[in-house]
Amino acid sequence: MSDIVAKLKGIVGEEYVVTADMSQYLRGNEQPQAVVFPGSTEDVAGIVKAAYDAGIKVNVGGKVVDTKGLTGGIAIVMSRMNQIEEVDPENLTCWVQAGMNHQEFVEKILEKNLYFPPEPYAVSTSSIGGCFGIGDVDTKAFNYLPTRTYILAYESVLPTGEVYKIGTKCIKCVSGYDLIHFITGTRATLGILTRVLVKLLPKPQAYRAVVADMPSLGAAAQAFKAIQKRKIFPTRLNALCKALGNEIMETKGVLVLVDLEGFPASTAQNALEVEAELRIAGATFSKIVEDKAEYDELWAKWLKVREKINLQENKVKFTVGPAKVPNAIASLAGIVGNLEENPGVLVEGLNGKLTVFTENAENDAVAINKLAMSLGGNVCGLLGNKLKSKAYNEDHNEIINVLNSIRSQFDPKGIMAPGIKF
Amino acid sequence: MLSQSQVNKLKSILGDKDVITSKIGMYAYGYDGTMLEGAHVAVVFPESTQEVVEVVNFCREQGIALVPRGAGTNVSGGTLPSEGSIVINFARMNKVLEIDLENYVAIVEPGVVNWDIQEILAKYGYYYPPDPASWKASTIGGNLGESSGGPKCFKYGVTRDFIYGLEVVLPNGKVIWVGGRDFSSEPMYDLTRIIVGSEGTLGFITKAALRIQPVPQAKRTMLGIFNTPEDCSQAVADIVAAGIIPTTLEMMDNLIINTTEDYAHAGNPRDAGALIIIEVDGYAADLDAQVETIRKVCEKDNAKEFRIAKSAAEVDQIWLARRVAFGSVARVKPNYGINDITVPRSEFPKAIAGIEKVKKDFGATIGIVAHAGDGNLHPLILYDQRNKEEVDLLHKAEMVLCELALSLGGTVSGEHGIGILKKALMPKEFGEQTLNVFKKIKRAFDPQNKFNPGKIIDL
Ligand SMILES: Cc1cc2nc3c(=O)[nH]c(=O)nc-3n(C[C@H](O)[C@H](O)[C@H](O)COP(=O)(O)OP(=O)(O)OC[C@H]3O[C@@H](n4cnc5c(N)ncnc54)[C@H](O)[C@@H]3O)c2cc1C
Repeated sequence: MSDIVAKLKGIVGEEYVVTADMSQYLRGNEQPQAVVFPGSTEDVAGIVKAAYDAGIKVNVGGKVVDTKGLTGGIAIVMSRMNQIEEVDPENLTCWVQAGMNHQEFVEKILEKNLYFPPEPYAVSTSSIGGCFGIGDVDTKAFNYLPTRTYILAYESVLPTGEVYKIGTKCIKCVSGYDLIHFITGTRATLGILTRVLVKLLPKPQAYRAVVADMPSLGAAAQAFKAIQKRKIFPTRLNALCKALGNEIMETKGVLVLVDLEGFPASTAQNALEVEAELRIAGATFSKIVEDKAEYDELWAKWLKVREKINLQENKVKFTVGPAKVPNAIASLAGIVGNLEENPGVLVEGLNGKLTVFTENAENDAVAINKLAMSLGGNVCGLLGNKLKSKAYNEDHNEIINVLNSIRSQFDPKGIMAPGIKF
Repeated sequence: MLSQSQVNKLKSILGDKDVITSKIGMYAYGYDGTMLEGAHVAVVFPESTQEVVEVVNFCREQGIALVPRGAGTNVSGGTLPSEGSIVINFARMNKVLEIDLENYVAIVEPGVVNWDIQEILAKYGYYYPPDPASWKASTIGGNLGESSGGPKCFKYGVTRDFIYGLEVVLPNGKVIWVGGRDFSSEPMYDLTRIIVGSEGTLGFITKAALRIQPVPQAKRTMLGIFNTPEDCSQAVADIVAAGIIPTTLEMMDNLIINTTEDYAHAGNPRDAGALIIIEVDGYAADLDAQVETIRKVCEKDNAKEFRIAKSAAEVDQIWLARRVAFGSVARVKPNYGINDITVPRSEFPKAIAGIEKVKKDFGATIGIVAHAGDGNLHPLILYDQRNKEEVDLLHKAEMVLCELALSLGGTVSGEHGIGILKKALMPKEFGEQTLNVFKKIKRAFDPQNKFNPGKIIDL
């Protein structure tokens, strides 16, 4: 047994360190030397400190850990830290441990008439720690704002093993640097979240969904524009190509999924108006889903499709702004071929964001970025930033310098999340 | 003092009229809402990103610190010039570069006054939600520096929540765009969020992409008048518990009700313990039901009066007292110290009780204006700047108020920032490790500590 494995066993107990048959806890081809299951912040701090001292790489996950760059390293699975510690309905907050399953959390909170809007990234495995670690701008973000909006405080273990805590139950706080929101999306490169104080909302009082079978993505996009012109901003306004849509319900063409959460009167009225616009745009079938069980089932299926999209490696995500979605759709086929036949296209009408599966993601991203930029947008995230900088002849290196500079302040030995390279 | 060759160099970058070095000319840029004064050696007014870059590069070579400034309305000492520094005033970078209504984005320079962008947007039926009470004077750059909030932020959020991206000049003189024209364009780390609220200590903002939105279909304004602040805060809690997040929950206590009556005859009962302005907005179809729920809540919580505005004039009448609240206290004392302590909403009654105790213990005159939904209180400590005893008392009372907020699980600053005024309180709010993490952030951007040095933390 290696020194580090012995140390880990000393910290969390023998039964919580796995060195054989680790595959169920891992995603990827590389092999860490141990999977470890901490039960407390102190455990996490002990593990990280031991790894840091020994210069051993570490990555973390809710149920499964990405093994990129983790050969010989330590995979920390947070699933034992899965408790809701405190629900505070008066302040609309909740302390929750980072390993709690995201969807389970949403459901438990709903039972208390409270609401946590962010969508799980991968519904079957995502944890609350992962939710904030990834920090998605999900398909509800137009109304509810991005995931980072829902973190008020947290406890984290630095890559050097120290624990720090920041934030309060106040929804307004400008004391010190805004690490509270900045930490969202840093994907464990700056430390491991162990407990999070999340911001909650009152549970919506009414729900409706509108589904429609549209002849094309272009027709769906036209309807999306018309809906916004009516000053209706649904919770979700998504269109899926046939292949993905059919994983939710059988359609001849594109599946449009509209989610309306809110107060009873407007929700009922908006559903009628949304359906009318979808019909005007050529829907061959449409339906307002009023039954709550049917509504829940629909969105549960959507979350499965969302997981599939998010875990697909060969894809390009880009934004153009809500008004330019029809133009983007019209031009995208020239790059990736017929969209109706594509295995994966998602249009987020309000975010003005598109995701398309492609076998040649690296190359297509360059062409797609050009297209997106001509419409005022860009490919999302770090890759988009690089492509945009290149196109503008800007110094992308400077962004990378800033990212690396922050990262090395936090993690001087570069042990955390080795799969993430800028 | 700068040498003549240094002044000449600055003038060659900016032009003669955009460099001030005379004592009298610099005076107006040496103080802010704190009434303290700084010790700068020049004020410069860049008009483009390129000029900012050249000033930054020159100052870096010369080892001179730079202090960014918008309208200077901050109340935390955030623009107080450090010894020997140059104030870089963004007021002349005030162009609205683009308004893209259909994609909900506006691109502006930092010197644009918040109110000016609101006026432009209003013509199209749009608005930019962050609305600090100082919006007629404060600039977008300053709002970004502090991540300012306003009455609407209970429902909509603060400045941070409405920024898609920023053009930033770094301390090394390089220009980067962080974020984009949407929330999905951050280069992995959400650099926009760490720069917003950093009080000019990490980078200078030269352009901002703001998220704008259509004015909601409908809005309702209500006024609840209560015998006691306790009843008033109970009503706030009960409205939220009823599943309604109002846009605005602005509270005023008895002292402020009276000063505003003296000043503007707003028509509120002088014997009321507290009043609350409540606004809801959204789809027209929902608002009657929400108003009814709120009315019932207020009645249950012993409101002595509940008014619903039926016309624009009545809305103005309800808002009148709140709009003149700060100015109205001048009738009692010439100066006021404004604090922005914030507590969890549930602790609001205890915070009010704590302020009452501070009043008694210090014999101080304190009026309270609060964004009650956010738990954000503005205890206004009234004093006379010419009276040293009163000034000392003000400082002591303010520290006790901050400690009160911390003891209730709150923060010393909900919206005004730390600057230099509250820097001493940082170790009380944060543990040593957290302070170290702040330092890591500062070092990552500004290892030489030349951008607004001495604000928020000392390296
Ligand atoms: C009567 C009154 C009412 C107020 N009401 C509110 C309120 O309701 N809510 C609220 O939050 N605040 C309020 N404030 C405080 C103040 O108005 C805000 O903090 C405001 O955002 C400051 O804007 P400014 O243009 O005056 O900025 P300044 O005071 O000039 O600067 C503020 C900070 O931003 C930095 N800064 C300025 N420009 C840049 C730039 N281009 N790049 C980087 N950093 C920069 C400065 O260095 C400083 O740290 C109020 C103040 C007063 C006097």
